[in-house]
Amino acid sequence: MLKESWESRIQRAECLAAKSDATNELLAFYAKLLRVQREIHEYLRSRRGWLPSGYLEQDLPVLRVMVPAVLRAVESSGPAALAEAAQFLLRTSEAELDQMLFEQWLQPSDLQFFAKAILQPYARWLAESGIRPGDRDLERKENYCPFCGGCPQLAVLHAREDSSESGGRDLMCSTCLTAWSYRRVVCAKCGEERPGKLGYYNCPEYEHVRIEACDTCRHYLKGIDLTRFGWAIPLVDEVAAASLDLWARERGYTKIELNLIGL
Amino acid sequence: MDVSRRTFIKTALIGSTGVSAFGFRLEPVYAQTQALRISQTTETRSTCPYCSVSCGVIIHTLGDKAKNVTPQVVHVEGDPDHPINRGTLCPKGSSLEQDILNDRRLLKPQVRRPGSDHWDDILWDDAINEIARWVKKTRDETFIEKDAEGRTANRVETIGWIGGCTDTNELNYLAGKFMRGMGACYYETQARV
Repeated sequence: MLKESWESRIQRAECLAAKSDATNELLAFYAKLLRVQREIHEYLRSRRGWLPSGYLEQDLPVLRVMVPAVLRAVESSGPAALAEAAQFLLRTSEAELDQMLFEQWLQPSDLQFFAKAILQPYARWLAESGIRPGDRDLERKENYCPFCGGCPQLAVLHAREDSSESGGRDLMCSTCLTAWSYRRVVCAKCGEERPGKLGYYNCPEYEHVRIEACDTCRHYLKGIDLTRFGWAIPLVDEVAAASLDLWARERGYTKIELNLIGL
Repeated sequence: MDVSRRTFIKTALIGSTGVSAFGFRLEPVYAQTQALRISQTTETRSTCPYCSVSCGVIIHTLGDKAKNVTPQVVHVEGDPDHPINRGTLCPKGSSLEQDILNDRRLLKPQVRRPGSDHWDDILWDDAINEIARWVKKTRDETFIEKDAEGRTANRVETIGWIGGCTDTNELNYLAGKFMRGMGACYYETQARV
């Protein structure tokens, strides 16, 4: 099972931000976002005598406390459009913010940056606590998260201690960051299995990251190959390989789920 | 005019050319994109050709499907989803890529003459004819019609067959019929592996 800590994600984002001029802005912001997500997670985790119910309506009074922290972090370090949106949301009523989170919870969209960013640590805590979302009635399919029904954000080829059993693929949920096992050589969007329709695009610049694309549905996601580089943090390395997303977009592929940088 | 939250967020955040969906500048990333040396591989599930365990493998083939490009196998690994081997491979299966790519693969028949220190290329027809002459000569000279007790044997003890675990059922059928028909009794196909 894939296990990453918020701290390891933050460190990885800051490390990669320092190494690359091209993605410095993206990763520096992402590191700050991860920090505030970690604060949310820690806040939820450390509340004495409280466990989430799995029903967002009931858990919102607790989660809501941390929403301004996210908005202020984005206002201070995000790009102009996000900063302006954050300012607007800081002036928005509590009811409107609740409604925004409800809508994202019930009908997830990768274009709802703030709701996705706020709900991710909450959903992660639900997954770690083993408390299933009770009010998230999404279709359960093999290529959707078995815990919360979310879309896959990325794929991971994992390495095991016994290296001869390595190479199995997991998908990571974009909502709760749960990783679940999913077959190789199958499209994560439409289930296409014909090898001639599935393309895997690699480059030496990102040896452990690849585009997994399907010519039937014209969707893709990025795969992080831990058998090539075991120190990668999939959630962050996926963001860092932003140029691969642009390459895929230029060739007419649509990403299954945009990440929190909008790529 | 009141601007609803939905309208504002949608207007503010829909990405345009040069920015991501959330407004990040992408010019430096675009520059990096132009320099990427992208190669395409295909992954194909197959079965290891060696023994009867029939482990699953995934064959990685390099090529962009262009008609003037010959696909090139670049990697073979165990199929982690296969119920038999779950991604593991024995040493023979692990070296399948070498079956295809090793530059020491024999691609033509060769013969080493008595007393020679090297191998000479030989044409297929010449090789088959020479083997046929040797088989007939050896069988004619060493055929055992009756054994020491006078029982009918009709066997040849000086010719043997060494097959291999990659031989197909069809090849083994023909080899079995031919060898038994000749009377050869030393017949090894590694079929037990």
